[in-house]
Amino acid sequence: MDTHQVESPDMSMTTRRRLIASLLTGGAIVAAAPLFAGRASAAEAGGPPQRDAADNDALNASLERESRMVATYRKAIGGLTENDLIAMTLILDHHVAYAQALTGYLAVDVKTPSSAPLASPGGSLASIARQLAALEDQTATIHTDNLATIKGIDAAMLLASIVTVEARHSAALELVAGASPIAAVGN
Amino acid sequence: MKKTSTSSPISRRTMLRSSGALAATSAVLAACSSTKPSVARIGESPTTVKLEDLAVTDVVLLRTAMSMETMAASMLSDSGVTALANKDTSSVIAAFAADHTSHLEDLQVLISARNGEAYTDTNAKLMQAYGQTALDLVASGKLPEDTLALTLAVETLIAATYQYFVSLAVQPALRADLVRLGARSSRRAAVTAQLINGGTGGFAPANDKDGVALVATLPGAFGSLSAVQVQLGPVNDTGSRTTVLMDTPSLNSLIY
Repeated sequence: MDTHQVESPDMSMTTRRRLIASLLTGGAIVAAAPLFAGRASAAEAGGPPQRDAADNDALNASLERESRMVATYRKAIGGLTENDLIAMTLILDHHVAYAQALTGYLAVDVKTPSSAPLASPGGSLASIARQLAALEDQTATIHTDNLATIKGIDAAMLLASIVTVEARHSAALELVAGASPIAAVGN
Repeated sequence: MKKTSTSSPISRRTMLRSSGALAATSAVLAACSSTKPSVARIGESPTTVKLEDLAVTDVVLLRTAMSMETMAASMLSDSGVTALANKDTSSVIAAFAADHTSHLEDLQVLISARNGEAYTDTNAKLMQAYGQTALDLVASGKLPEDTLALTLAVETLIAATYQYFVSLAVQPALRADLVRLGARSSRRAAVTAQLINGGTGGFAPANDKDGVALVATLPGAFGSLSAVQVQLGPVNDTGSRTTVLMDTPSLNSLIY
């Protein structure tokens, strides 16, 4: 008995191609579904963003403060020697690092900060340390207040890591200025 | 008559039939599968309890902070520490312990504002992980300098904890509150470091003449989140002392 194929070859090729294409499309959608689901759930969770353009003004304000702290320390170390010079240069380097970190974070959104010193610390080491300790306190407060407005997690973490060390700067300088350990802690 | 069928042994109909049969068989096998462990064993087999999904909320962070502050106060006021501290440092360490207790009130206010429940115990997991070990080493070593070394480690740990929590907190205002509390511990850490290695010569990291690292008041430009290392206790046969690693709380040591 003869066998007849009713459908035409052209029609058959088109249908098979469609079937394969459909299967491939379906497979791709199924494979990608978890990715989309993950994004959707993260968005629905309402977690804080990693970065937010609205933070730039506060971060530029922090950068301005650090830039001015750098200028202040550059003036302060002028007459220092030996360990005192090493210690103050170390703190100066920290502030340079903070300014660089903030500049790097802001990238194209950075505004050229002022480089005017905040003070002209002079006199004995104790006198210089006392003035710088007060400035360190103010700087940490500025960053902390900015932190309360910043939405992006990355910027918040950066400022937190700066404030943690600036608190150390302040307490150490207070001690060098002659404060008691309890007073230097800020109690 | 013209025969137009292909010579392929796999026809479309066969392929669809085979695929359908395979899918049906898979469904039946999947339905028959068991969730019980398939590995045979002798005796009682422990059942696995799935951990409940817990969210790291701001209240969880604050409760954990309370547990850390309580732990710090407890460690710094431990009889093994207070008995060893000399008269110059004992009052400072006692004041630091009191500071940690006072921070509990600040944290309670923050928790109440978020309708949370305060936590008044120490962080049992971290106390077991390294807190008690550190206290035992101080007690067995009987070295007065260990009291300041422990104080420095504890204050550095608490400061790092608050710094780390900033990355987990949701509300920006809370992040600022956490950093304010952390800064206080940071100041205490700096003062303790100066009590160990005082003056401007103690600011920068340095080694002594034997190449041993000295305590630095300002060990880095940015706050570190790595484990705090402290050497405590008696000198062993090889001339070294036990190094205790203190980590900030993580998912398994948060107070949910």
